[in-house]
Amino acid sequence: MRLPILASLVALLLLSPDLTAQRRGRFNRGGQGEGGGSPAAEQPAAPQATDGKPKKHTAITGGDVYLGTGQRITGATVLIGDDKILAVGHKIELPEGTTVIDAKGKTVCPGFVCVYGAGMGQGRGTPWIDSCNPFDPEIKQGLAAGVTSFLAGAPRGGNSPAGDAAVVKLAWGKVEDMVLQEGTVLGMNAQLPAGEREKFRDLVKQAKEHRRAQEDFLAKKSEDPTAKPPKAPAGTEKILDILSGKSKLWLQLGGGGFNPFGGGRTGAGSDLDAIRSAMQIAAELGTGVVLVKPLSAWLCADEIAATDSMVILSPRDRVPADPADPDRTGSNLASAALCNQAGIPLAVTCPVGMFGGAGVGTNGLLGMDLNTPTVDAAFAVRGGMTSSQALRTLTLDAAKILGVDHRIGSLEAGKDADILILDGDPMHYRTFVEVAIVNGRVVYELANEPLYSRIHR
Amino acid sequence: MLRTNPRRNRCFALRAAVLALGLCAAGLRAQDVRPIAFTNARILTISGAPIERGTLVVRNGKIVAVGADVAAPAGARIVDCEGGTLMPGLVSAHSRAGLVSPPPTFSVEAGPRRGGRRGQGTPPPDSGARGVQNSAATKVAERLDPKQEVFGELLRAGITTLALTPPGDGFPGFGAVLKPDGTTLEALVVDDDAFVFLGMQRDARVKKALKDGFEAANKAVAARKAPKEAPKPEAKAADGSKPGGEAKPAEAPKPSDPQPPPEPPKPEPPKPDQPKPEQPKPEQPKPQEPPKADDKKPEGAPTADKAQGPKPEDKKDPNIEVLADLIEGKHKAIVQLNSAADLLHWLHAGGKDLTFSRTICTESFDTQAGAFDLVIDELKAMKAAVLVPPDLSVRPRSRYVVNPVRSLHDAGIEVGFVLGDSPARVRTLFFRLMEQVRAGLPRDVALRGVTLVPSKALGLESQCGTLEAGKKANLLLFSSDPLDPTSELRSVWLEGRKIESDTQAR
Repeated sequence: MRLPILASLVALLLLSPDLTAQRRGRFNRGGQGEGGGSPAAEQPAAPQATDGKPKKHTAITGGDVYLGTGQRITGATVLIGDDKILAVGHKIELPEGTTVIDAKGKTVCPGFVCVYGAGMGQGRGTPWIDSCNPFDPEIKQGLAAGVTSFLAGAPRGGNSPAGDAAVVKLAWGKVEDMVLQEGTVLGMNAQLPAGEREKFRDLVKQAKEHRRAQEDFLAKKSEDPTAKPPKAPAGTEKILDILSGKSKLWLQLGGGGFNPFGGGRTGAGSDLDAIRSAMQIAAELGTGVVLVKPLSAWLCADEIAATDSMVILSPRDRVPADPADPDRTGSNLASAALCNQAGIPLAVTCPVGMFGGAGVGTNGLLGMDLNTPTVDAAFAVRGGMTSSQALRTLTLDAAKILGVDHRIGSLEAGKDADILILDGDPMHYRTFVEVAIVNGRVVYELANEPLYSRIHR
Repeated sequence: MLRTNPRRNRCFALRAAVLALGLCAAGLRAQDVRPIAFTNARILTISGAPIERGTLVVRNGKIVAVGADVAAPAGARIVDCEGGTLMPGLVSAHSRAGLVSPPPTFSVEAGPRRGGRRGQGTPPPDSGARGVQNSAATKVAERLDPKQEVFGELLRAGITTLALTPPGDGFPGFGAVLKPDGTTLEALVVDDDAFVFLGMQRDARVKKALKDGFEAANKAVAARKAPKEAPKPEAKAADGSKPGGEAKPAEAPKPSDPQPPPEPPKPEPPKPDQPKPEQPKPEQPKPQEPPKADDKKPEGAPTADKAQGPKPEDKKDPNIEVLADLIEGKHKAIVQLNSAADLLHWLHAGGKDLTFSRTICTESFDTQAGAFDLVIDELKAMKAAVLVPPDLSVRPRSRYVVNPVRSLHDAGIEVGFVLGDSPARVRTLFFRLMEQVRAGLPRDVALRGVTLVPSKALGLESQCGTLEAGKKANLLLFSSDPLDPTSELRSVWLEGRKIESDTQAR
């Protein structure tokens, strides 16, 4: 009975013309190593792709390629050199000795990026790489679900930006590849006590002054080599990371959320005040922030979009409206779509809370929602989001929210080769991952896995 | 590498008394002086093909002849094996039997499941709290209680050479080789610095300790190779000769403790000495391990010695000196890597560049962090023998049984076995070996894995592990082939002395 809806979604996808992507494809023709079209990300592509010739080439040919940017190229080739994507498009010349993976009739898309996650080989805090477990069976489980990266140790609230989260890759069997980046995400409460708020404002001011001083110094240095670099004021280190774009600030909005032990909910079905505080912080910083599961974002989506801020939502977290003010409270499936329509980059996650949720495994259902990341995106589709945007919430936009979109999240030249080959539409619940590639290495093959290869359909 | 231990002769009178007592005891037992001839035996020499019906002659605790056509010497005590099978005594190269404190942190069942899911947001417990300070110069033998039933039980179960491993991560110290019939420290401990033990965990602090330790050691090696002014080596020689005179097993807890921690890794000359670290410099006759000199304080006045303050050449951290000796090839090492993940971390922590003589051992196949069959290429590249439990494993989250031992052997890696700490487990060892053979491991590899391979790991291949002339007469006499399920271990012979087996049905 859901078939008509799904069919129409698929039809929508197939019909939507994708000219920009096509153009990108042609641009890249034979562009091995040249990094043809630059990634959509602001950051420059990692340099490895251009300097030095890749040792090993792999090409995924003939697949229906979803770039992760919302675009799709049919029958395209993805050329991989070592661990990076060299080119995506049609008529790409394959260098000699290229390993070809035929994906005709299959779907190719970027590996999913999860903004929450647990287990899957993650280590025990900074430095994450020294305690990671590259042979954790959960890695295979995560790859089977399409996850190739996730944020381990997601930050919590606090009165100042803090956290030691790391973006972990599911790089089976390779310690060096397990941690993509540390410290990309810091957490703080949106609403601070008065004194703390004042302190934070002051620190931001000092940090900005320091940045100006640093710029002056760099300008001066060329003339006067004896010039001394300015010293960062104490306490501003993390803020400087945020200002420089090295870290994303996740703001916890508190209150209003679902609390299973609080009789269903605390708060009045609205966290508008907290969002407004967060917008103030974003304005002070001059950089976008990330709102963690805002309840009322749909009410002020334009304001959020105007500050370049981003949003993490779990569309199936529904909060009933306050009967006294039903038009301005509560939240439902449509929230994600409304934010998306306002142009806010959005990551979709499963409910994470008291009982966990963002994990993989075979031990029952509770806390295993990362087994089906696309189902959470499907809730957003149900609420009105387009299917191609829904894929973005699991790929490029999620990578933006983690501050690593220069490395992962889309199939673009220069990015890490984290790629899935699927046996159907990425958003379809029947779709299985057939091959998962992380950093250019095949790390999962359905046919060789004891669990999913046994499911006959 | 067993070296004659210079600190044996501490209290001469006492030793003489003990010796006299021992001689009396031997005299009472009386027969021991005669050679022994084991006749009518099927002999698994391990070093070569089995001898279907042969004789093995033992004199003074050593094998003097083995063969099908060897005749029992005149006057020999004849042990008629009645067609039973003789094989070398078991060699256990990795055991923590009898080490009570600190308690061993390892067990087969409850292996730490690192990186597993622990619920949202709750990081697994940090193991870094356990000390990972460098105490490479301490000796496990020093904290040993010799009067423990377990050694005798292991002996009666067939272990005639028992190596004890210090517990802990990083550089917990020297392992010891025991002759398990002793009841005093002196009789029990054959070699108290048989091998340097390195314990690996995937843990930031352990990895840092390893990196720092070996960086400092490489520096020390470079410093040794650099030509020095004349007086220094002499002073060292004088110092080194001291323990030769009168030394004792320093039960001083960790001489390293008061030492400052190894210098932080400095940008050293990028290891010019790395290519061939094994080769000890012929110039300046190494005054037999200066570090040793450090931890063997003269018995009389250990405090006085300390009070003298560090002599200029004593500034060296003995722990680092031990590691430098290791790099120079003067010690052997056993590296414990409990899973495939730990092995990758070992390489990641700098283990790639370490090429000294070492054996890798693992206590269990950890399906949550990968059994060794997942890292066969890496293991091959390390060119080291591997000691593994004689067990089968499963692919995680499945019922697919795999045999990592066989995979390793098929890949050309020398495999031996970790026999276990408990006598109960050792008593059933041969059943596990049978399972291994059924699962495809060649018979001779299975038997070599409990004898010759571990003895090589300890550097004792010239003394035990096979039945050849010149080796210790450590023998197991089975009623039939040891891999036959009906076979019984009839007796254990430790250096020509019979020890009744306790596994025989009565």
